[in-house]
Amino acid sequence: MKNIFNSLKSIRWISGLLFLIAMILITGMANPDFLSYKNIISCFNASVVFTLLAIGISFVIMTGEIDVSIGATMGLTASIAGMIAQQDGSPVKMLLIAVVVGIAVGAANGVGVAYFGVPSLILTLGTNGIVRGLVYIVSDGKTVENYAGTFTNYGEKVAAFGITYYYAVVIAVVLITHFLLTRTAKGRHFIAVGDNNLGAELVGISVFKTKMLAYMLSGIFAAIAGVAFASKYGQVNIVAGAGYEMSAIAACVLGGISLSGGLGNTIGAAIGAVIMSSVSRMLVFIGLSSNFNNTITGVLLITIVVVDALTQKNSIEKARRKRLLQRTAHSAGSMPEPEKGGE
Amino acid sequence: MKRLRGLLKNWEVILLLLLASEFIIFTLANPKFLNPVSILSSITNYIGICIIALFVTFVMITGGIDIQAPSIIGLTSITIGVLWSDAGFNIWVAVIAAIVLSALCGALSGFFVAYCDVQPMVVTLGGSFLYSGLALLISSMSKTPAYQGISKFPMKTEAGEFVSFRFLGKGTIFGFLPMPVFIYIVLILICWFLLHKTKYGRQIFLIGVNKQAAEYSGIHTKVITMSTYILTAIGASIAGILLTSNVDSAKYDLGSTFTLSIITAVVMGGTLSTGGKGSIFGTALASLIICILRYGLPLCFGVSTQNLDLPVGAMLLAVVVGRAIMGRGLLSKYFKRNLGNKSQ
Repeated sequence: MKNIFNSLKSIRWISGLLFLIAMILITGMANPDFLSYKNIISCFNASVVFTLLAIGISFVIMTGEIDVSIGATMGLTASIAGMIAQQDGSPVKMLLIAVVVGIAVGAANGVGVAYFGVPSLILTLGTNGIVRGLVYIVSDGKTVENYAGTFTNYGEKVAAFGITYYYAVVIAVVLITHFLLTRTAKGRHFIAVGDNNLGAELVGISVFKTKMLAYMLSGIFAAIAGVAFASKYGQVNIVAGAGYEMSAIAACVLGGISLSGGLGNTIGAAIGAVIMSSVSRMLVFIGLSSNFNNTITGVLLITIVVVDALTQKNSIEKARRKRLLQRTAHSAGSMPEPEKGGE
Repeated sequence: MKRLRGLLKNWEVILLLLLASEFIIFTLANPKFLNPVSILSSITNYIGICIIALFVTFVMITGGIDIQAPSIIGLTSITIGVLWSDAGFNIWVAVIAAIVLSALCGALSGFFVAYCDVQPMVVTLGGSFLYSGLALLISSMSKTPAYQGISKFPMKTEAGEFVSFRFLGKGTIFGFLPMPVFIYIVLILICWFLLHKTKYGRQIFLIGVNKQAAEYSGIHTKVITMSTYILTAIGASIAGILLTSNVDSAKYDLGSTFTLSIITAVVMGGTLSTGGKGSIFGTALASLIICILRYGLPLCFGVSTQNLDLPVGAMLLAVVVGRAIMGRGLLSKYFKRNLGNKSQ
């Protein structure tokens, strides 16, 4: 039984990976030029912002909640980072402010959801509106651009093997969070709470603390994604990041994280993020206009979740049938025994 | 006094008080606010939010959620535009085709939710990508560039009167009531009747309270769940038609920013997002409160129209957290009373 579940769990993100490989191969068949190391690695490099967002929100989704305020949080720190960059401030300052903002928004969400018990979608919708308003107040309604220093150049710098510094950091973060989530007791609390929060409470895991931590992590990651966004695009308008929360959620789902909680890991989220951000890039190589971007993302998302739901339904049904068969076989085999004993 | 307290427990009464206080505060701040024509036209501006919120109430009562409706506004709009302007169809044929297409979109998502047991949030998220993508593809079939929007719908007469298709969005009825608001009122009545006065409505509530019990009592839960998504899609389609007709422009991304406001309206109206509880009048009142807030704040307090997310978000937070606290207080009182009774 344990084996079946373990293999199912690993299949969850492997299916995302297979999807990504299939997408790369299909693009390669349509246009062989795509199949170069440089092109493929650039798909990964381009996914920095999405990956950070997706990793952050995956903690929240694993606990069975949702956070739609990350797009606004990202917009807020992006415009703050942009304003610091206009005066050629240091990136350390941006990151520090970003972390503070992320913790603040995350804590507000966490208190609302875990303490007051407000449904998470609704509460984070509210904070989303408020933080979006703060973006407007901070940037005074103007687009933040024309940085003074070399802030925009960081994004392009290559560390090794064509991988940019940014993506190298992201890979490290993915591996670290994956390790923490799967190999440490505290990390497994997220999954435990998402799987069965009453059960988790009974075995001594604080659901409040776990959810609080999940929201803070989600906020921090979104805030750092905002700094990366500002550096990458060089200009931040007041709607920067709007709609990114939906893409991040989609990335998590593509990476095999169940929205009802208790399943998934951050590697899946990272793979999903690469899929989400490389669809438009691949379309260029196939020769279709980028107009197909949303349609294909939608079809991918629906296909993967429907297939997932159906296979899961099927496997549950199979397991049930097996159990029933075992029971009947067992009772049929054991029935004669007492009779013999009676004789 | 007891009666008063009983009234205050009724969420719709509280909403009504909120709406009234909005009127009073805005009027005190700026007497120009109290102009019926501009109030009605402000409702017309946000008619998409109001109409869709009515139908999303149905979905949310069954325990689902629908975030794809705004993308269907754009799909409807661009379908009408392309069929009418590029394919040369009669405008009403185009309108009916757009409604049918939307209903099919709703049926597709509803099918996945009801028959494949996929979470509604994920399906409609995928749907919002898919249908907005479709809208963009349809718009690329048109001769008109996508960013411009197809315009010059029939018809404004020489005398400046709106007839035919444009009458839906710009015309007035009884001399003062804008047509979209009139349609909205009719839709409120239809939805109210459907949800609160028919067997179908009771079945929707039962599915939200306990799906299994509903299934065992012989209700076709799958069909009914699916039907709520179809209804929402049709509602979104109507909103799309009215908006297109009102602004005289068919664009693929019309209404794409409505998602948050719609959910805000439904939840503020007293609908439980876990299902089983909700009312049409509550949703309608909450939609009105949001409309008036969005109209009044820029006019009376000089808040920039770009920054209306903050007050709406703050209001949503205040309502949901306030209700959570109140719910707790009432719950603990309830327990105390019951325990007290037992010990006697």
